[in-house]
Amino acid sequence: MIRLALGMSLALCVTGPATAQTLHLMKGIDAPHYDAQRTTWGPTSDIVNMFQDTLVALDWDGRTPVPYLAKSWTISEDGRTYTFKLRDDVSFCSGKKFTAEDVVYSFKRLKDPAIKAPYAWRAGVIKELRATDPYTVEYELEEPYSELLLQLTMFTNVIHNKESVEALGKDYGIKGADGTGPWCFESWQPRTEIVLKRHDAYKWGPSLYKNKGPVKFEKLSVKIMPEESSRVAAMMAGQFDMTHQFPPQFIAQARAAPMLTVTPAKPNFQLLYFGFKTTRPMVSDKRVREAMSIAINRAEIAKGVLLGNADPAFTIVDSDALDHDAGTRGIVKEDVERAKALLDEAGWKIGSDGVREKDSIKLQPKVYYTQAGNTPRVAEAIQGYLRRIGVQWQLQPWDSTIASAKMAEQDYEIWSVTVPYLSAGDLMNIYFDSRNIPTPNRMNWKDTETDEWLKQGRSALTDTDRAKYYALVQQKVMREHLWMPVLNINMDQVANKKITDARPHMIYQNTFYKGLDVSRQK
Amino acid sequence: MSAETLDTGFARESETGVFARAGVLRRLARDRAAALAGLVLTVIVLAALFAPWIAPYDPYFTDLTKVMRPPDAEHWFGTDNTGRDILSRVIFGTRNTLILGLVGVIVGGLIGGIMGIFATYYRRLDGWIMRLVDIMLAFPAILIGLAVAAIFGAGLSAVAIALVVATVPAVAREARGAAMGVMGHDFMEAGRAVGVSDGALIWRYLTLNCISTIFVFLTLRFGQIILTGSALGFLGMGAQPPTAELGMMAAQGRDFLFMAPHIATIPSCVIFVIVLAANLLGDAFRDVFDPRLQT
Repeated sequence: MIRLALGMSLALCVTGPATAQTLHLMKGIDAPHYDAQRTTWGPTSDIVNMFQDTLVALDWDGRTPVPYLAKSWTISEDGRTYTFKLRDDVSFCSGKKFTAEDVVYSFKRLKDPAIKAPYAWRAGVIKELRATDPYTVEYELEEPYSELLLQLTMFTNVIHNKESVEALGKDYGIKGADGTGPWCFESWQPRTEIVLKRHDAYKWGPSLYKNKGPVKFEKLSVKIMPEESSRVAAMMAGQFDMTHQFPPQFIAQARAAPMLTVTPAKPNFQLLYFGFKTTRPMVSDKRVREAMSIAINRAEIAKGVLLGNADPAFTIVDSDALDHDAGTRGIVKEDVERAKALLDEAGWKIGSDGVREKDSIKLQPKVYYTQAGNTPRVAEAIQGYLRRIGVQWQLQPWDSTIASAKMAEQDYEIWSVTVPYLSAGDLMNIYFDSRNIPTPNRMNWKDTETDEWLKQGRSALTDTDRAKYYALVQQKVMREHLWMPVLNINMDQVANKKITDARPHMIYQNTFYKGLDVSRQK
Repeated sequence: MSAETLDTGFARESETGVFARAGVLRRLARDRAAALAGLVLTVIVLAALFAPWIAPYDPYFTDLTKVMRPPDAEHWFGTDNTGRDILSRVIFGTRNTLILGLVGVIVGGLIGGIMGIFATYYRRLDGWIMRLVDIMLAFPAILIGLAVAAIFGAGLSAVAIALVVATVPAVAREARGAAMGVMGHDFMEAGRAVGVSDGALIWRYLTLNCISTIFVFLTLRFGQIILTGSALGFLGMGAQPPTAELGMMAAQGRDFLFMAPHIATIPSCVIFVIVLAANLLGDAFRDVFDPRLQT
């Protein structure tokens, strides 16, 4: 209760009274900057999606690209050239007219080695972009890329205004950034608040929204509140309109609160998994990996640890996601006795202290993860299950500031992250391609077949072919038990009851997306 | 004057040990608060010592079908967020917490005491040692713990190092102060004059005459060290799962304060009781040993 009181006090201190013209959002973590091309950071993506736009938008189903800045497109027979017809009624917040030159500039910048864009691959292997007229762009690829349209919905592929980029230089995305989105960048106070204002000229909302623009609020304030209890108290006290980062352990309280509405984002593809570094002797044997994967009870973890805010994951790709292979569903079968037998078979025998050993080495793999979110609690629960089969996980949580650097090292056996993704191809091309060793392919998985199938899937000219090759990859990596899928994490949007038409989107852990329909009852 | 004549009076009295002073234990027993604190600490220490035999359940056994249960007949202190028995974890956690406190007190006291006494006896070292002590005092224990954990990784060792480093300068100052008083006595000068070795003078005459002061200081310090160790555990610098440690257990429970307050409050209360008992006992020791407080 003291924490609740403190949290409420803090909430009252950091937020002013809600005004009718301002929409108040709140989240737990800020971004390093808001230049979408220079990061993979989720907290950048949600804000960027508000003030900048992509050629195509992602529909509510999480798998269908719909026209946005591009009103239509055609694809050449060889799958290498996309011709986009652009809207001619779009302008940036600065007032500058949006044209094909902005598209060409944006993707050239994305591919510029100086930018070091970590997600440049999402735009495909670009050969050339041509503005054949002010509202037509020819997007030519070196090789076909079957998921190009889906990937173009991602925040890293938003369209930038060259004048804004050049005028702001190193401060681009920090002191400002121009965009064509429904909101305009106004100010940012790092780790405190970002303020956006209405883009009055905006009227090109994608088909998924009833309101094509402009938005129904003059301003949008997004406050950063790292303390979970403070976020709970602030929402309960009515100081904020919405958040997509309500602590999951308090979702039940939010559902019971008369002033709040909880809406799950459906579909939502967020996998919490543990990966095995196959080059480490302790987990190089797939029998050991499988034993760990089948010795746990995912349903109990979902219910007991996540309090029902997650679903058990038995496959690496969610069954609702594009190109999920139904044939992978029976590969992970929880069975403690079989787990023990597999470890025996692999030569790991129970030692005097109850921990298995082989050649005088204890089966005590080091497990790295970030000391935040759900992972620490899930890791502890799994540690408890594995003690029963003689495996002693050595948990090593790292602060989020150094976790990714630590996970790029090689002296541990297992790691865990929670990854949002769009489709089977999206997830697997990031993690299982040998070109991505040592990170994000931290398994050090180097397999010719996998690489070839991924390439075939990427460059497939038909949906059937793409699904076929991605199914082969799913079968292979799951039978090798390179990952231990554990939970599909739910994402809930919590809003004040006065907020209406705030349907949560699923794109990259960002429920607000464009927020065009959101309004507040009088 | 011969060396033997030095083994009398003030110097010899201290050699017989701090508890052997006439009536020390009797006077401690007369102080009701101290007696109660001593009893509580004894029970806690015994429980920690015999943890494997006393704990009703395996402190590491998880049961996700029984998460966050409030205290009941089956689990007297309830269960935590992975269904582990909190009473068993408190018993094992107390053991780790006490070990950390003792390591901080004993190792820190030893190093600090040596530094203080050497700084006093060897005047040429005084400036160097005390400047080092000043530098060490400039860093709070929490900061040292964070630095050690960042370099070597979080764990009980990191906390132990931080507690030792935090204890050393305070003890060194206290020991130096006490030793300065002893150095002013004639028997020290006399010992040097008759050729008693440095080692004998430092140990038999200087150290043994300072030891009660240092001991009292450390008993007062013990509670503070426990609290600092628990704070480091709370911040995630200490024991790593599944190891039980009171500070870490309190931290794990904070996310569930609204729905299962017992997970955080029970280990916090145990920390409170240990620290209170240690402080009361430390106060009582000071009252008994400090001649200025005796009437």
